[in-house]
Amino acid sequence: MTAVSGAEGYRERIGTALAGSWRFAGLHATAGGTAVRVLLAAPDGSTRLESVAAERATAPSIVDLVPAAAWDEREAHDLQGVAFAGHDPLRPLVDHDPDLGRWTVPVRGHDPYEVAVGPIHAGVIESGHFRFHVVGDRILHLDIRLFYKHRGLERAAEGATLEQGMAYVGRACAACTVANGVAYAHACEEALGLRPTAELRRARTILLELERIWSHLNDIAAVCAGVGLAAGNTRFAALTERARRLNAALTGHRFLFRTVAVAGSALALGPDELRAAREELTALREEAASGWRELAFNASFQDRLPEIGVVAAAAARRLGTTGPAARAAGVREDVRAASPRLAYDGFVAVVPERATGDVQARFEQRALELWQSFTLLDALLEHPLGPAVAERSDAERELGVGRVESPRGATSCVVERRGDRIERLRLRTGSYASWPAVAHAAADDLLPDFPLINKSFELCYACTDR
Amino acid sequence: MSGATVTAGAVQVVGGIALAPLLPGLVQHWKARLQGRRGPTPLQPYRELRRLWGKSAVTIEGTTAVYRLAPALAAASIGVAILIVPVAARAPDWGVGHDALALAGVLALARFAVAVAAWDVANGFALMGASRDLSISVFVEATLVLALAVAALVTGTTALPEVIAGTAGAGVWSQPALALGAIAFALVVVAETGRQPVDNPDTHLELTMIHEGPLLEYAGRDLAYLQWAAAARHWLVLVIAAQVFLPHPHGVWWQLALLPVTLAALCGALALAETLVAKMRILLVPRLLAVGAFAALLGIAAWLAASP
Repeated sequence: MTAVSGAEGYRERIGTALAGSWRFAGLHATAGGTAVRVLLAAPDGSTRLESVAAERATAPSIVDLVPAAAWDEREAHDLQGVAFAGHDPLRPLVDHDPDLGRWTVPVRGHDPYEVAVGPIHAGVIESGHFRFHVVGDRILHLDIRLFYKHRGLERAAEGATLEQGMAYVGRACAACTVANGVAYAHACEEALGLRPTAELRRARTILLELERIWSHLNDIAAVCAGVGLAAGNTRFAALTERARRLNAALTGHRFLFRTVAVAGSALALGPDELRAAREELTALREEAASGWRELAFNASFQDRLPEIGVVAAAAARRLGTTGPAARAAGVREDVRAASPRLAYDGFVAVVPERATGDVQARFEQRALELWQSFTLLDALLEHPLGPAVAERSDAERELGVGRVESPRGATSCVVERRGDRIERLRLRTGSYASWPAVAHAAADDLLPDFPLINKSFELCYACTDR
Repeated sequence: MSGATVTAGAVQVVGGIALAPLLPGLVQHWKARLQGRRGPTPLQPYRELRRLWGKSAVTIEGTTAVYRLAPALAAASIGVAILIVPVAARAPDWGVGHDALALAGVLALARFAVAVAAWDVANGFALMGASRDLSISVFVEATLVLALAVAALVTGTTALPEVIAGTAGAGVWSQPALALGAIAFALVVVAETGRQPVDNPDTHLELTMIHEGPLLEYAGRDLAYLQWAAAARHWLVLVIAAQVFLPHPHGVWWQLALLPVTLAALCGALALAETLVAKMRILLVPRLLAVGAFAALLGIAAWLAASP
């Protein structure tokens, strides 16, 4: 249950909580920018919101306490007009300033020069602008500018009913539509005082793991493409498509669109469908394992992975990195380990044996999680599944929070409502949390290695931009 | 001039100019097949060239004649290289000689033309690609010259027709020097054709480009010249690989008859390597080429030790 507290001692309370076991999970300004709320999460799955009023559109910054809040504060400034005292310089994030000096970190000296890449790329890549400060081929510093495709989804959802809100959240991103949808559904249900039944928990967990499987298979293919290993790329791209076709067979949509709803689930799987799905998943697992073995024994491929793009555990914690990228650095944190609203009983997060936070560790992390998801799904699909609804358990509230482990890390959703309508919706995805780590990982490495480093994270742009 | 010489000369010029685009086309075609894709036909490079030839070139504000002349100069250099490299043990005198070392020179001239054009346009990706190409070329050229030196020492001449005649016969690798030279030249082939593990011709990742980088600013006919030059580089190095470093028969007619088979086999080998081998870290490329140079030096040492 999410606890909400008031303004006094805002910074102190956050500082104390973070010194304990609480983690920063997001910051947003309320509709109209009258207040700022910080979402904190504990390892046992509980969440709490700390609020402070933004008097004369200014709130105290917490970026010195939590560097991971930097993007959130910059976003709140650009979108809700809240200034943050103590966050200096408060660089623009969503609001693109043509003045380079306003958003890039100055790098001075005789030899460094800048290489600007994007926002339009030569391949099928989403829009992002990367400004490298380099000496020769060595990267000194990278400034990333995203939000080229900012659609204002959160603002557009304001005033919609909680049910309608799913349409906005579900289309924030094709790759994380289930994770985002479930986080939103949890937030709405917490606000409505509802709790999912065992059947509903199982339906959503199945969808989340189906999403993780195609996503992780796709990430493995992307790393192969990053080093020009055509054989590995096509093999895992084909497996990705097979996983998507399984999604279509089970839910009617390759990307699992419109499968999550607030307070219920229409997903019904009969014994025949289950048998076919489990057989296909077993086949996929065997194929993926055989493809993985081939990659493991390809020396030219394995030579490319170690010791580049390093995000060590300390940096991952400081930057608020989540998901496979954090676990690859040895940060054993996974929302699934404490998800009472989902069917993950007994789940234990995995980390690779060599948790060094480099490209290789992130790559191996994908495989470890993939095997885990196959095992989870096999158990989840054992019994037929019918339509399910959430049941009343607690009192109704104005606020609700949902946290879900997406393929790219912890996704948080905060819903503030007035009656049946959304007053403010905030979706903070795993990709949003982990982007600053990409810039950190690139420093000190070589420019031609950056595409590989970037693909080892394989973060979404769409659900970051929203 | 005998019929064999005339035929060899015709194959040399027509093949170098008109058949060269087929070689990268074949590599791409087979590479797609190896990946389980249908892929483009081997004739795709011709379609590309036709399309580009019909388009006008682009003049960039602030650039000089260096940028405009570079494609023509690169293509002309490669054209001279085609005249230098014979396809068999006999070749007409085209007035530029058949000297192996002159070949290294004209290949370097083509590279230089593209590199200075990159400086002229001052596009970041063009400069990045050109500077990488120049740093790697230090090692490519050394390995190329050393590999050719092995063949020259064994046959006692740097004139390529005589080198081809001197290395003919099934027992080409019974000379340890030539076997080592073949290893060195194999790496030159990969580097000069811009293929994996040195460069990835299929990439759309600007930051990883080597040979593609300087081409980004060109369009239309200029780009057609440069793409043809890249294809002709395949022809040049693969012909030398086939007729000097791989077993090839005595007799000009037999050499000409077998050449297409060997070239196709080499394209297949390139496709296979590019499918199974990842692109290597850029700073390790010089080390790979140094292995080639070392093999060639070992070959020279082997020859010196064996010769009376």
